[in-house]
Amino acid sequence: MSAPKRTNVCKKGLKKVLLYAIMDSNKCSLWCGVGEMVQFKVAEAQDIMEKLGILTDAAKYDVACTSSGVDRRGDGRGMGNTLAGGICHSFSADGRCISLLKILFTNECIYDCKYCVNRRSNDVPRTSFTPDEVCTLTMEFYKRNYIEGLFLSSGILHSPDYTMELICQTIYKLRKECRFQGYIHVKAIPGADPMLVQKAGFLADRMSVNLELPTAEGLRRLAPNKHRKNILAPMRQIQNGIQVNKNEIMLYRNAPRFVAAGQSTQMIVGATPENDYQLMSVAEGLYEKFGLKRVFYSAFVNVNEDKELPALPGGPPLLREHRLYQADWLLRFYGFKAGELLSEERPNFNILLDPKADWALRHLELFPVEVNRAEYRMLLRIPGVGVKSAQRIVRARRNSALRFEDLKKIGVVLKRALYFITCGGQMMYRTKMEEDYITRNLLNVKEKLPFDKDGVTYKQLSLFDDMGFPLPPGQEDVKKAVWGQM
Amino acid sequence: MAGGTKWLQRVQMVGVFFQAKRRRVYMEEYYLICEDSPEGIFTGIFEAYALRKSHDSIHIQIGEEDNLRLFAVYHHIAPDQEKSLRVAATVERRLGPEAYVEICCALASQDGGKGEAVYKTVVCGFKMKDGRQVMGNLADPYVHKVFELARNVKNEAHHWKEFLRFKELEGGTLFAKIGPKNNVITFLMPHFADRLPLFNFMIYDEKRKIFAVHPASGEWYLVSDMETGMEKFEEYAAEEEKYQELFQFFCKRIAIKERKNLKLQRNMLPLWFQEYMVEFGE
Repeated sequence: MSAPKRTNVCKKGLKKVLLYAIMDSNKCSLWCGVGEMVQFKVAEAQDIMEKLGILTDAAKYDVACTSSGVDRRGDGRGMGNTLAGGICHSFSADGRCISLLKILFTNECIYDCKYCVNRRSNDVPRTSFTPDEVCTLTMEFYKRNYIEGLFLSSGILHSPDYTMELICQTIYKLRKECRFQGYIHVKAIPGADPMLVQKAGFLADRMSVNLELPTAEGLRRLAPNKHRKNILAPMRQIQNGIQVNKNEIMLYRNAPRFVAAGQSTQMIVGATPENDYQLMSVAEGLYEKFGLKRVFYSAFVNVNEDKELPALPGGPPLLREHRLYQADWLLRFYGFKAGELLSEERPNFNILLDPKADWALRHLELFPVEVNRAEYRMLLRIPGVGVKSAQRIVRARRNSALRFEDLKKIGVVLKRALYFITCGGQMMYRTKMEEDYITRNLLNVKEKLPFDKDGVTYKQLSLFDDMGFPLPPGQEDVKKAVWGQM
Repeated sequence: MAGGTKWLQRVQMVGVFFQAKRRRVYMEEYYLICEDSPEGIFTGIFEAYALRKSHDSIHIQIGEEDNLRLFAVYHHIAPDQEKSLRVAATVERRLGPEAYVEICCALASQDGGKGEAVYKTVVCGFKMKDGRQVMGNLADPYVHKVFELARNVKNEAHHWKEFLRFKELEGGTLFAKIGPKNNVITFLMPHFADRLPLFNFMIYDEKRKIFAVHPASGEWYLVSDMETGMEKFEEYAAEEEKYQELFQFFCKRIAIKERKNLKLQRNMLPLWFQEYMVEFGE
């Protein structure tokens, strides 16, 4: 194969574009679609402001806006770096973080998914960016510290392959021509050529394929053009790619990274009748079998009138979404299993109590726990004790026996924890170990919810109450570092 | 006879008790008044050890206080680079780099009690068998204070990494103005220098009147007491306004109106940051 040629995309009219893909010159060359001719049509010249408006509107229902998972310093020759903890640059009026420039490449779509604002049958203004426009916007915003990187998704223009090509082309330009080293999150389009997904994976930090609905049945009903098989295939491919890449990096430290920040997915909550147990089981399966970094849950917002969609007079199911996120955290950081939190008999989360307190109340035989002796995994299961405070307890109790005052300083929420712990063999107050009694008392402590229900201000629950506070590496991390898996 | 010795013992014990009490009352307290800088406080720690008195009776204070104490001896400590470097090196060696960074962060805090907290933490760490564990000893009030201060500083530094906004001046230099509560500018510069190595940029701390300057492809440095008008920093590049508008527009459009929640927004992004951010202008 001779070196591929490349013509710039012309703004007006049609132009044939020879597609190409070269990864880092000699180390890893991936060729795809060479010689294949694809036509690329750009909508009539529109104001960039107008385009940004339309394509932001079209992208906003995608939840993932994280810039975490990869630590990369700049190489001094371009622009940008990434932090493992991620950075939120702003917060929009709905309180969600703005971390990435979240846009669709195009909102022209051949699919007709019932829940989607961009479906074929909707009459909305359509437009597309050009790769150059996306690059300029990203670079200019990034340099002013507005954003942490680019989140590029797209409607399906002509075909999945065609769309994926465009995405690849855009991020290739951004990485290689603009020398952008910030965060890039792109969608893998289900049904696209695996080579294209592979190519995008070497340029992006995170990739995601949206599962959309937890069951194949729901997908068939609401997204007739999407198939579960097509969604899982690229997910598996990315998972394998990451694994292979880890081994490569073990051997060659400077091998190009493939989807360094892992992959994520998203499920819509409340559009189909699935219960929480099904959702959690699917999420657990994704974490365990597909090695996902995150599963996002998106409370269904009814943007289209459709007989297949439920009417939601109370607005999007935000509480349910919140409970799912709480449980998701329990799966990922607290060592819980979906089967412990929910079961066939109790398929939905308690509205009044968070999943951890709910679990603790059903397992009172394990409590109270002696804080000065209990093992770390048990500490994590105490309501009112988070990952940070459990770690601090383990560190602090090496020096002296902890008292309740110390726990308070460490950050344990005593008004929740006091029913479940002892310090030096004593509980904080005289407490009955009785489910009803504790439930009643826990309900008196107002739960902090991130959304407004009765006019009280709430702060979003966050695992990381302090940023820029790297933990000392654990034994597992050291092992991983030795084997080059980090 | 036996009863007699017992009685004698008791008298002696009472005597010891009173002695102890007397020593307590007349124990002199030493106050070392240091400059508000890492150098000043490290010199203070050096001098505190040089006094060779019980550490309970020595205190480090930053700047003058209005109320003088009775029975206290005040020493003014002038910052000394050599002494402070020696202390810094010992702290880093004995307490480990992790605790050292923590202490440096705490020293950037605006809190007046930071000197005392750092000093007592260092003492606590040197007494421990393994000084590297000192920051884990959160039950100690001074260690806890250092931990809190450091956390506060790091959180604020992180917030400014998020919310700082550069504006492009005529000629391509990027300029950002911040008004941090703690002295975080030195924590911000390495981050932005790594991020924008090919740009001339400048961060201005308007509370402390410090400029941090990064020349393209060069090392960054701090400039204080610069005699210059701020007008120079208000001549923006031609494109600047366009991108500000685009970003404002983007922020407005990205919000989902069905989920509108201004209180959550304000919780995540406190109002006092918003005056420095372009998307909240007007």
